[in-house]
Parts: sequence; C-alpha cells; structure tokens
Amino acid sequence: MTDIAAANSPSAPLTEAPPRVVKMRAFGIGEYSTLAISVATGLALLALWQFVAWTRLVSHLFLPTPSEVVDAAISIYRDGYANASLWEHVGASLARIVTAAAIAIALGAPIGLSMGLSRWAKGVFDTPIEFYWPLPPLAYLPLMIIWLGIGEVSKIALLTLAMFAPIALSAQAGVRSVSSERVNAALSLGATRFQLLREIVLPSALPEILTGIRIALGVGWGTLVAAELIAATRGIGYLIMSASNFLATDVVFVGIGIIAACAFAFTFAMRLVERWLVPWKGQS
Amino acid sequence: MLRVDKASLYFASRDGRPVHALDRVSLDIPERALVVALGTSGCGKSTLLNAMAGFLPLSSGSITLNGHAVEGPGAERGVVFQKDTLLPWKSVAENVALGLKFAGVGRAERRDRALELLRLVGLEDFADAAPYELSGGMRQRVGIARALAPDPAILLMDEPFGALDSMTREQMQELLVSVWARTGKQIFFITHSIEEALFLGTQLIVMSPRPGRVVARYDLDFVETFARDRDARAVKTAPTFAGLREEIRAIVHQTEPNRSAAQ
Repeated sequence: MTDIAAANSPSAPLTEAPPRVVKMRAFGIGEYSTLAISVATGLALLALWQFVAWTRLVSHLFLPTPSEVVDAAISIYRDGYANASLWEHVGASLARIVTAAAIAIALGAPIGLSMGLSRWAKGVFDTPIEFYWPLPPLAYLPLMIIWLGIGEVSKIALLTLAMFAPIALSAQAGVRSVSSERVNAALSLGATRFQLLREIVLPSALPEILTGIRIALGVGWGTLVAAELIAATRGIGYLIMSASNFLATDVVFVGIGIIAACAFAFTFAMRLVERWLVPWKGQS
Repeated sequence: MLRVDKASLYFASRDGRPVHALDRVSLDIPERALVVALGTSGCGKSTLLNAMAGFLPLSSGSITLNGHAVEGPGAERGVVFQKDTLLPWKSVAENVALGLKFAGVGRAERRDRALELLRLVGLEDFADAAPYELSGGMRQRVGIARALAPDPAILLMDEPFGALDSMTREQMQELLVSVWARTGKQIFFITHSIEEALFLGTQLIVMSPRPGRVVARYDLDFVETFARDRDARAVKTAPTFAGLREEIRAIVHQTEPNRSAAQ
C-alpha cells in the first residue's frame, strides 16, 4: 500500500519551475495563427505598389499611386461618378444580386430537394440544368437582353440562372448525404413522410444548401460585374467601364476595391448565418 | 408477442446472384422476454432485426407482432442502433421526445416525458446538452430513452454496445437490465459477445452464417438473478455461467465458415 501511495504522490515539489509542456509534432502549418504573416504580406504589397508607382517604372496613366486611389475614392464618395452617386452605383449592384439570390434560393432549394427525393423531379430537372450550368452566363446574356430588354429584368434573370444551379445541385447533394440509419430511426419512431422531410431531411441538407449559396454568391458577383460592364447605366461594373473609357485608372481601382469589400462582406455574412443556423456542422 | 415464422431472405449481390441471408428462421419473443441473438458477423442477425423493424421485406415467411403482420417501420417497434443516430440540431431532451413529436404530443408533455425517460437512464442533468457533447455511452443511453419514448411494444437493439469500451459496456448492460426490469418491455438484442449474450438473455439463440439460421437455443436465468441481487460479479463467475460460455464458444467456432472450409 505505501508503495502505491508513494508512486501516486507528485514527484516534484511545487516550488520548482513549471514543467516543460510538450505536444505532438504537427505536419503542415500546424495550429499557429497566420494573421501576422498575412498582415505583413498585405503591407508589403502596398509598399511595393507605392514604390513602383513612385519610381515611374510603369506609366502613371496605367498605375496610379495608392494615395491617388484614396483621393479618387473620396471624390467619388462626395460627388458621385458617371451621372450617379456612389451609393446609387453600389445600391444598384446590391439590389440586383440580393434580388437574384432571393429568387435563386426560393426556387433552387426546393427544386434541388425534390431532385434528391424524387426520380421524376431528378429526371425532369437534370437535363436543363446539366445543359446550361456549364455555360458561361455571358454567353446567354445577349439572349436575355433580346428577350427581356436592356433593363433590370434581363440582368436579374441572368444572375438568377447563374446562381440557381449551384444551389439546386447542393440541395440535391444534401438530400443524398442523409444517412439511411437516420431515416430508419425516424421511421421507427413513427414519422410520416412529411415529418421525415421537415425534421430529418431538411436540417440534414441545410449545411450543404448553405455551402451552395456561398458558391452561388461567388458566381453571382462575377456574373453581375461582367453583365454591368456590357449593359447598364448604374452599378459598380458600369462605374469601372465608364472610368476605363476615360483611362481613369484610379477610379477603376476604386471600383475593384468596392467589389472586393462587398464580396468579403457577403462571405462574412454567410459565415455568421452558418454559425447561427448550423452550429452542429462538423460535430457529428 | 413477436413471432417470426420461417423467415427467409435473399439479397441481390453485386454480380446479380441472390445471396441467402436468412434461412427459415423461426422465433417467438413472448411478453417480458429478453431474447438475445448471438453470432459472428455475417450470420444474418442484423438482417433479422432489420426485417423485424420493417426496414427489410422478407423473401418468404412472416413476422407478426401481437397477431398483426409487420409491413414496414412503425412506432410500436422501437429500434436502438449500433451507431448513434441522434440529431445534432436538437438537444438531448428534444431527441428523446422526437417520437412523441411525430405522434402529435404537445410541447410541455413531451418535455415532461423526456425528462422522465432521461431519469430512467441516468441522464436527467444533460437534458439541454447537445448530443455531440456527450460520450459514446451516454449517447447510447439517449438512444435507448428515445426508443422507449413512444411506448413501443418491443425494443429491437442492434449491437448497441458494440462500439463502447469494455467498462462502459458493462455499465450499459446493467443499466439495460434495470430498464428492462422497470418497464417490462420485450427486447430483442443482438451481440457478438458471448458473455454479454449470457448475462442479458432470458432466451439465447445462436446463429450461423451462409445462410443465416438458428443453430442452438437456450433458456437462461442469469439476468433474473442479476435483476434480483444486483451482483454482476457473482453471476459472471458462477460455474454454470462459465460452463455455458465454453459450450457456446465451441458452437460459435464451429459455425465459422473459414474453419469448416479448411477441414
């Protein structure tokens, strides 16, 4: 008994230095934060830009300095650009993408779910989706304009089509990812087909649907700006296009900055939505 | 009473040939009985349970519960799976109450009933935890409470403790005996552990693979002794227990296809 007691008592007195804490050596980047490196890289790129612009290695017409871009941003913020204020441009783009996203989610999620659940729905919707989904949206933009006119309807229709497919396909994949054990468990607890859909299939597919929406928003921004470059009188894409007509490179940079900020804000918002709706993701 | 009458079942294998999974299995599970099916993997014991649960149709033969033919899954046959199938977006109490929700029971009553069942399995303090915060053994206890919630006539348990460590497993066996003694449910329990089968069963069937069929049946009383005296060690070290364990081990080894093919 005394041997066991001795073996169990701590071997080192408390006054000694704390022990060296060790952990398993990690492969790859491990778990240390990359924030400092990322910030330093960003600053270095800015410095490089400033340096190249300052030395005039590249013609000033093609590459404005960072401070000129900031000046341009302030002037656009104050006075607007190309017959509209900054907020009208940003608002026009946001209204298009948000409207199209809402329609694409409202149509894509239920159609995708039905494609995962029913052979008929899958057979019917597979053909058109597989046909048009790989096409670049700009290839059918002319058709949209011919059919729906030059106004908002054609652009929103184009965006909706571009965003619909990733949402529908991910909803379908979400249904397929529901394990048969989970379905059997619900059935043996007396679930009807409708209860099975609402309580098991829909929540199980939700993480994949949200991933699909995230992909769709990425596709949406690309399509939106391209569509506005071609046919619009408002919007961030139009702002860039009209600036490039006057070789106003600083304004082009401002436009690019705004798109980057909007896209980043959307990604961030989607993360928050995921954390709120599917806190269990990756947990089971 | 659940009655399995000459149940045969063929699966289609990948190359299209039928695989004989169950061969004229007959079995009665009377009221209050705890019937354990024991066998090596591939002996058809899970197939038999899936057919009882209504997940699988039979090729021939019949399964009836209190005279009514089993024709699909239903709330009168509760199932506990080997892999826990709890829903991560619901709390432990909501998971337990799922079957009551399906039956249209109101929120307050669902909660009361769930807490009562969680008390039965010793988890009343975890009612509002998320399932993924629990250990494997605790999750299986939630699974048992959930299966009991709609008050089924029979509980079907498919190797529920197979993935647990041996110490947790023994605790779970003792818990199951208390639940069984307290609720008086008839239970069909699958395992590949001889000791578990002997300790839990009022009846034991030994199954052999290819095709799955019953090769031996025993009536046992160890579980009743344990339910009365609560002394697992005494039960498991009794000479009759050890003797039966060796006898059944010999039968199970005989049924292993590799062994018989080699000779």
